[in-house]
Amino acid sequence: MPDIFYPKTEQDVSDFIFDNYNKSNPIEIVGHASKKIGRLIQSSQTLSLSSMSGILEYFPEELYIKVLPGTSLSEIETTLKQKNQFFGFEPNDLGYLYDGKSNSGSIGGVVSCNLSGPGRFKNGALRDHVLGFKSVNGSGGKVKSGGTVVKNVTGYDLSKIISGAYGTLCAITEINLKVSPLPEFEETFLVNDIDYAQAIEIFRIALDSSLEISGACFFPAANASFLTLNDVKKDTSVLGLRIQGPKASVIERMQSLNKMFKDKATSMLDTYQTSIFWREIKNFEGYANSKEFVCKVSLPITNMVNFLKFFEKTNYKYFLDWGGNIAWCSLENQSDLDKMKIFCLKHGGHLTVLKANDNFRKSEEFLTNSDSNIKILSKKLKESFDPKGILNPNKMYAGI
Amino acid sequence: MPLKLPEADTTIIQDKKNIVQDLFKITKNIIHSDEEIKPYETDGLSVYRQKPIAVVLPETTEQVSKILKYCHNKKIKVVPRGAGTGLSGGSIPLADCILMGMGKFNKILETDFDNRCVVAQPCVANLAITQAVQHRDFYYAPDPSSQLACSIGGNVAENSGGVHSLKYGTTTNNLMGVEMVLMDGTVLKLGGKHLDSEGYDFLGLVTGSEGLLGVVTEVTVRILKKPESVRAVLIGFDSIEDSGNCVADIIAKGIVPAGMEIMDKPLIIATDNYAKAGYPRDVEALLIVELDGTTSEVDTLIDKVLDIAKMNKASYNRASNSDEERMRFWKGRKAAFTACGVLAPDYICMDGSIPRNKLADVLSYISKLSKKYKLDVANCFHAGDGNLHPLIMFDSNDPVEMKKAEDFGADILKYCVKVGGVLSGEHGIGVEKRELMCEMFNDNDIQQQLNIKNAFDSENLLNPGKVFPILHRCAEGGRMHIHKGKDKFPNLPRF
Ligand SMILES: Cc1cc2nc3c(=O)[nH]c(=O)nc-3n(C[C@H](O)[C@H](O)[C@H](O)COP(=O)(O)OP(=O)(O)OC[C@H]3O[C@@H](n4cnc5c(N)ncnc54)[C@H](O)[C@@H]3O)c2cc1C
Repeated sequence: MPDIFYPKTEQDVSDFIFDNYNKSNPIEIVGHASKKIGRLIQSSQTLSLSSMSGILEYFPEELYIKVLPGTSLSEIETTLKQKNQFFGFEPNDLGYLYDGKSNSGSIGGVVSCNLSGPGRFKNGALRDHVLGFKSVNGSGGKVKSGGTVVKNVTGYDLSKIISGAYGTLCAITEINLKVSPLPEFEETFLVNDIDYAQAIEIFRIALDSSLEISGACFFPAANASFLTLNDVKKDTSVLGLRIQGPKASVIERMQSLNKMFKDKATSMLDTYQTSIFWREIKNFEGYANSKEFVCKVSLPITNMVNFLKFFEKTNYKYFLDWGGNIAWCSLENQSDLDKMKIFCLKHGGHLTVLKANDNFRKSEEFLTNSDSNIKILSKKLKESFDPKGILNPNKMYAGI
Repeated sequence: MPLKLPEADTTIIQDKKNIVQDLFKITKNIIHSDEEIKPYETDGLSVYRQKPIAVVLPETTEQVSKILKYCHNKKIKVVPRGAGTGLSGGSIPLADCILMGMGKFNKILETDFDNRCVVAQPCVANLAITQAVQHRDFYYAPDPSSQLACSIGGNVAENSGGVHSLKYGTTTNNLMGVEMVLMDGTVLKLGGKHLDSEGYDFLGLVTGSEGLLGVVTEVTVRILKKPESVRAVLIGFDSIEDSGNCVADIIAKGIVPAGMEIMDKPLIIATDNYAKAGYPRDVEALLIVELDGTTSEVDTLIDKVLDIAKMNKASYNRASNSDEERMRFWKGRKAAFTACGVLAPDYICMDGSIPRNKLADVLSYISKLSKKYKLDVANCFHAGDGNLHPLIMFDSNDPVEMKKAEDFGADILKYCVKVGGVLSGEHGIGVEKRELMCEMFNDNDIQQQLNIKNAFDSENLLNPGKVFPILHRCAEGGRMHIHKGKDKFPNLPRF
C-alpha cells in the first residue's frame, strides 16, 4: 500500500509534490477516492485532498462559490439549495455506478472529470462553470488562473484545461464555481411507443422550437425499467422533455408540447416526479451495480441514428440524453466496445469509458484514441505542468 | 506613440526581398509596398502603429500551414489578424514579422440546422453568422458591439462577449470546434459537431488565447432558436449606487435577464445627443434590462423587475411595447463608442471585470481619477456580468495627455483587481495591458502560462510581445521550479 499524505494547506501540497518531484516519485492524487474512473495508476505515493475541505466564500448575489477541493459535492449542493441555487451543469453522482448508492465524492474529483448532467446542452458543461482555481503543478509550483467573475480574458483560460484533466496536470487546491438560480418550477412531458428514429425527430422538433427545453432523453423499451417512477411505463419506450422556469410559463409551454405532439401517446410528470426522473438519469441509477462496461457515446445528433442502427443487433443497453447528442451505454463485451469506439472516431465523435473492470483499467484506453497530433500536443501540455510526469501518470492515456 | 515590442531581428528585416519571394511561391496574395501595408499597421487600438515586413493573405488551410512552417524554419515571427477591430492591440504587427491577414477566409461553409451549428471560415463577420440562419429564426448568441465588422476567428482569439453574455455566455460557451494551425505547420481539429470532446480541453484553452497558440482556420459555433418574445425596460436612477443595487436584487431574486446594461450620466447625454434614443436626461444612471422567453414569462418578469426597481428608488421607468421601441432603447447604448468619438479626438475603452456589488465603489473611484487626471470619462457597464467599460477621452496629438490617459486607464484596472476583479472581461490583454499582468499574477503563474505557450510554439514566434509582460518580472510567488539555476525555457524572452 502506498503512503497516503493528507495536506492541510496549499503549502503542504507544494512541499509534498516538490519533494516527490526531486525524487521522481509518481503520485496518485485522490479526492474522496470514491471513483474508479480512468486508467489504473502505479504509484508509491498518494496525495489525498480530502483533508482540504470547506466552503471558503459563497456570495449568492455574485453567483459564485469558492471551495476547497476535498469538500463533498453533496455538502456544497445542500448549501446552494438553501439559497435556491444550484450548479447549472447538474453534476452526476457516480456513486451509483461504482458502489450502487449515492456517493458524489469531492468537488475536486468532480471538476477533474468534467462530466455534466441532463441540462448540459442548454446550460453548458462543467468546464463552462469553473471560473478560477488555485493549484500546485508537478514541480511543486503554485499556479492560479481565472477569478470569481464570469467575464475574464486575462491570460490563458486554464480553468478549462484543468476541467476533465483527471488530475494529470496539477493538484487543485481551491476552486471557484459559477452557481445559478434554481428554476422556480419544472415539469416533464413524456412520449411513449416510439422508436429511436422517431425520438431523434421529436428532439429535433422540440429543440428547434422556442420552448427552451432543458432536458431531452429517450429510453428504448428494452431499457425503460431503468426508470422507477410508477407513472413511467416500463413495457414501452419513453422519451422525456423537461421544461423549467416560472410556473405560468412552464404550463404554457407544456400546452404547446401537447399541441405539437397531439398524435403521439403522451403524458406528463409533475414537479416532484420530474426531479426524481432526471435525478435517476443524471446519476445513472439504473446502471447501479452493473458488472458491465458503462460508457458515454458522444456524436453529432445526425450521426446518432446511424450509430443506433449500426449496433441494432449488438447486445447492449442504452439511453439517449442531451437531445440525442449523447448515448449512455452499458455492455458486457469488450469487442463491442471497441467497435463502438471505432464507429465514433469515424463519425465525428468519441467514446469515453466511465466504468470498467481492473483488467481493462490496467491495459486499455479509457478515451478514444484521438489523432496523433493531438496526442503529441497532449504530451507537451502535460510536460508543461508536470515535467517529470509524476502526477497521476497514465491515468488519462497510456504515457500521459 | 512608441510601443515596446520584442527586439526586432534586423537580419530578417534585411532579408525582406527573399522572404517575400519565398512566400510568393506559396501564395500570390502578398502585400509589401509601404503604401499598401498602411491599413495593416494598427488595429482598434489605433494609437499604436507598426509596419510588418509584409502582409500575406492566404486562402486555404494548406497555405496557412505552409507559410507557418516556412516562418518556423526561418525563425520569422507571425502575427495573425482578423478584422482588426481588437481593442487591446493584439494584431498590431512587429517590425520583423509577417502579418497573416485572414481576410480571404470569408465564407460560411455550412449551416447545419439538424446539428444546430454553423461551420464558418474565421474571417466571416460575427453578424453574418446570424444573418445566415435567421430565415429559420436561429441566431448566434455572442453579440459584441462590433459584430458588423469583427471576425468570428477574432472572437475566438479574444473570447468576445456582448450584451447578451449574461444569459448566453461568451464565445467559449458557444464554440463547438475549430480547425487551427500551429506555428510549426501542424493542422489540428479540435471539437466538432458533437459536445464535450474528451482529453484535454484544448478548445477551451485556445479560446481567449489572443492568437498566441495557433492560427484558427475554421470555426464551428452552435446556433440557438430565437426566443418567442423579447422585451426591454429602461430604468433611471438618481444615483449609481441605486442602479447597482437594483442589478444585484434582480439577480438575487433568481432572474437571469438576457442582458443588463448601465450607463452613467455623461454617457446618457452623449449617446442621447448622438443617437436620439429618447433617454431621460435628468437621471444619474440608466439601466437597460432585456428579458426573453415565452410571452407570458417575459411579461411576468418585466413586472417583477419593475417592482424591484421601485424598491431601489428608480425615478424613471419605461417598458418596451414593440420591437421598434426595444431597438430604440438599445440604439443609444450600441452607439456608446461612436458617441464618445464625437466628444473628443480620441478615447480609450477600458475593460475591467468586477464583482457586481463593487460597481458603485469602482465608479466613484473612476470619477475621482477623472478629476485627478483632468480627463473626461463616460461609463458603460455590462452590469449583469460585472464588465465595466470606462471610455477615457483625450487627444493623442498631445503626448502629455496621451500618457495621462494611459495612466488613468491603468489606475482603473489596478483598482478593479484590488476589489476582486480582473484586467479584462472581453477585450483581451494584447499589448495594452501586458505590463499590468503582474497585478493579478505572480511569477509562477506567468511561468506556467509561458510553459504552455512553449508547448504550442517552442520558438515563441506566433504573436510574441502580447499578453505577457516584457518589461519586468512579476513578484516571486513562492516556489518556482528553476532547473539547475536556469529558467526551463531560456529561449522564451521573459519579462
Ligand atoms: C467599436 C467597437 C466595439 C467593440 N465591442 C466589443 C464588445 O462588445 N465585446 C467584445 O468582446 N469586443 C468588442 N470589441 C473588440 C473586438 O471587436 C473583438 O475583440 C473582436 O473579437 C476582434 O475581432 P477581429 O476580427 O477584429 O480581430 P483582430 O483585431 O484582427 O485580432 C484580435 C486578436 O485575435 C487574433 N486573431 C484574429 N484572427 C485570428 C485567427 N484566425 N487565428 C488566430 N488568431 C487570430 C489576433 O492576432 C489578435 O490577437 C469592440 C471593438 C470595437 C472597435
